[in-house]
Amino acid sequence: MIRKELVAASAEPLILSLLAKGESYGYAIIQEVKARSDGKLNWTDGMLYPVLHRMEHRGLIKARWGESETGRKRKYYSLKKDGKAAMAKHHEQWSLVHSVLAGLQKEQYV
Amino acid sequence: MFDLEQAITDWRQQMLAAGIKTPVPLEELESHLREEIEQLMKSELNARQAFDKATQEVGKANMLKNEFEKIGATRGARNLKPYRTIMVACLGVESLFWAMCLLSKFGHFSEITNAQQMSGLAAIAVMVLLASIGLLGHSPVSVILSRRMRDVICHSNNRLMGLMSLCFFALVTEPLVFFFTLPTFGVGSLWVMLPLTGFLYGFIGGLEKAGLKRSSVAGV
Repeated sequence: MIRKELVAASAEPLILSLLAKGESYGYAIIQEVKARSDGKLNWTDGMLYPVLHRMEHRGLIKARWGESETGRKRKYYSLKKDGKAAMAKHHEQWSLVHSVLAGLQKEQYV
Repeated sequence: MFDLEQAITDWRQQMLAAGIKTPVPLEELESHLREEIEQLMKSELNARQAFDKATQEVGKANMLKNEFEKIGATRGARNLKPYRTIMVACLGVESLFWAMCLLSKFGHFSEITNAQQMSGLAAIAVMVLLASIGLLGHSPVSVILSRRMRDVICHSNNRLMGLMSLCFFALVTEPLVFFFTLPTFGVGSLWVMLPLTGFLYGFIGGLEKAGLKRSSVAGV
């Protein structure tokens, strides 16, 4: 099980990266993250929607109401210009952390 | 017999009772709930089982309310729009006040010539221009990420502008200075005060905008 703090910290970069592929909606975002992490990142609605709304308010993403294939109302989110800049910054920072960690891990096995 | 629509209506009532009142989150949560139920029913659960599991996934009303309230608090702290509206309104009132003084030849401006009148109006235009540059754009030198620091600068600036407005209002309405001919003094005062006021309006507007923009991108 991934720690709660790490799940929270990784939510924004993951959402930004998912939306960089194209617009999406809450349910699909949760399902995609779950599938890509082999079920290890299991976000709840209570966690996702407040994060999405905060990101929308900060101008990183925008939302529009649309309809599903069956005619049900759905709120679609997409990336804004500031969101792309924030995503690039997140990628840079997470890559740095990853490279430091990977380097240290490698040294342990030498 | 389990009635799914009635169960969803009851769930909505529970959410409303817990305080999730804004229509957007509730509509969105309901849309998600229905999506989840539909998928669960495809995986051979009956309507009741699917509803129970889906509502469990969505989470309890109180927990959801707490999460949305956290955003509300952040939103209040970061909302720049009312502040900008007040600043633009103050700028408008101030510009209008001085323009009316000049055009109606009020106080020190009673013996003003046409050239001096035009000069005074130009000072107002410079103030509006300088303020607009700051409010619409944002200066790279004015990025201060600390909200507390920005607040201190804003409050000091607002007090300074208030004091300046009072002093100059007194000077225009009361004949306190005898060393200058009155119209020259009045128009000269406008040229000293208004561009400085415009710069301060613009500086504060730009400071807030740049700070919030940088905070937003940095995730601060």
